[in-house]
Amino acid sequence: MSTLCLLSTTARRAPKLLVSQCHSHAEVSDKIKLSLVLPHQSIFTSTDVIEVNITATTRDMGILANHVPSIEPLCPGVVEVIESGSVSKKWFVSGGFTTVHPNDKLTIGVVEAVSLEDFSWAVHMNLQEALKVAAGNRSEEDKMDKMSHSSGVESISTMQIGMITL
Amino acid sequence: MSMLARSTVGRMAAQPKVLGAAPANARNMATLREIELRLKSVRNIEKITKSMKMIASTKLAKAQRAMQAGKQYGVANSEVFQNAPAEEPAKRKLFIVVSSDKGLCGGIHSSVTKATRRIFADKESGIETDSPIMVIGDKSKAQLSRVHPKNLVMTFNQIGRDIPTFSDAAGVADLIIKSGVKYDSIAIVYNKFVSAISYESAVMEVETEEALKNSPGFKAYEMEDDVTKDLAEFSLANAIYAALVEGHACEQSARRNAMDNASKNASDMISKLQMQYNRGRQAAITNELVDIITGASAL
Repeated sequence: MSTLCLLSTTARRAPKLLVSQCHSHAEVSDKIKLSLVLPHQSIFTSTDVIEVNITATTRDMGILANHVPSIEPLCPGVVEVIESGSVSKKWFVSGGFTTVHPNDKLTIGVVEAVSLEDFSWAVHMNLQEALKVAAGNRSEEDKMDKMSHSSGVESISTMQIGMITL
Repeated sequence: MSMLARSTVGRMAAQPKVLGAAPANARNMATLREIELRLKSVRNIEKITKSMKMIASTKLAKAQRAMQAGKQYGVANSEVFQNAPAEEPAKRKLFIVVSSDKGLCGGIHSSVTKATRRIFADKESGIETDSPIMVIGDKSKAQLSRVHPKNLVMTFNQIGRDIPTFSDAAGVADLIIKSGVKYDSIAIVYNKFVSAISYESAVMEVETEEALKNSPGFKAYEMEDDVTKDLAEFSLANAIYAALVEGHACEQSARRNAMDNASKNASDMISKLQMQYNRGRQAAITNELVDIITGASAL
C-alpha cells in the first residue's frame, strides 16, 4: 500500500520543473497547509503537514508539498495525514473533494469522517454480521437496507479496507 | 359600536385623573382595577420574554459552536473560487436569500431583504432585472414577494428551526439544480456574524460549472476526469450550508437581544404602572378619609 502511494507520489511530482517555476519564492517549504473540514467539525485548519494520503475515485495518491494544483473527488476510504516525522493519523471519510491549490494549500471537504481509533469492536462485529447478510440469498434492496442498518456505513468493501488498514 | 367608542373615550378621560387627586367614586376604582389587570398582563409578558431570552441564550451557544465549524467548511470550500475567479462579471445571477420562518428576532429578515433590494436597485452592478431569486425562510419570502414578486422562482421553509444540517443544505442545492432555472452565477445573501450583539448582511459568491470552465485560474488545476459539474454542485451545497449555520447563529443572537430589550421594556413598564397604581390607591384612601371626616364633623 505504502509503496503504491510513493509510486503515485513520484508520478505526480514529475512535472517538477513547472511547479518550481510557479513557486519562485526563495525558500520552498517542505510542508503543505492542510484543511480537513467537515460540515460540523474542522479537523485541520491550515495546519502544516508533511504528507497526506488519500483514496481518490481514480487511484490512491499521496500529496506532498509543491504538488501540482489538482482536483480529485474522494471515494469512501481512509485519509492518512502525516503531520511530522512518522506520526500518522488516519480517518475513514465519506465522499467529498480534495483540492490542491496553487499556493501550496490543500483542502479536503468531506461530509463525514471518523478517526480509525474510534472504530470499536462493536462495529467490527456488526461488520461481520453485515457480511453474512451480504453472503445470504436475499434481494439486493433488502441486503442494502440490512447492511446499512447494521454497520452504519454505506459501503461495506471500503469499510473492510478501513478495518484492514487499522 | 357607539357604546364601545364611548367607553374608550371615558377611559381615556379617566386616566389622567389618577395622577392627580381622583374623586372617590366608582370610576376611580375601575381605573385601579384596570391598572392592576394591566400590571398582571405586563408581568406575564415579561416572564415570557425572559424565558425566551434564556432559551435563545442556550441555543446561541450551540449555534455559535456549529457556526465555527461551518465557517471553516465554507472558507475551505471557497478557496477554489478565490484561485479561479470568473472571467467576466455575471449578468444573470441567481440570488439565494437565507433567512428563516420565525419572527421575534429583530431585523434579521429585513437585513437580507434590504441587501437583496439594494443589489437590484443598484444600476451599476449590471445585473439583469429579471434575475431569479430563491428564498429560504417564510419571513423574507413575504418581504421579497412584495417588492420582486416576478423574480421569486422558488422558496423553501421549515429550515433553520434547529441547527441546520448538511442534509438540509444538500436538499436545497439538489432542488435548485433540478429546478432548471437559468443563471450564470450564484450569490447567496445571508447574515454575517460580527459579534454576539451585531450582524450584517453579506453576499457569498458561488461559481457555476460554466463559469469555472471559462476561468483562466481554473485551468491551472489538473483533473483526471471532468469533475467540474460535481465540484460545482458540491460547492453549492457547501456554501448553502455555511450560510445557513452562520445565519442561524445570527438569528439566535438577534433573538436573544430582542428578548433582552423586551424584558427591559417590560420591567420599565411594570415600575411605571406600579407607581401609578400606588398613587391611585393612595388618592382613593385619602378621599375616603376626607369623606368620613367631613361626615363626622357635620354631625
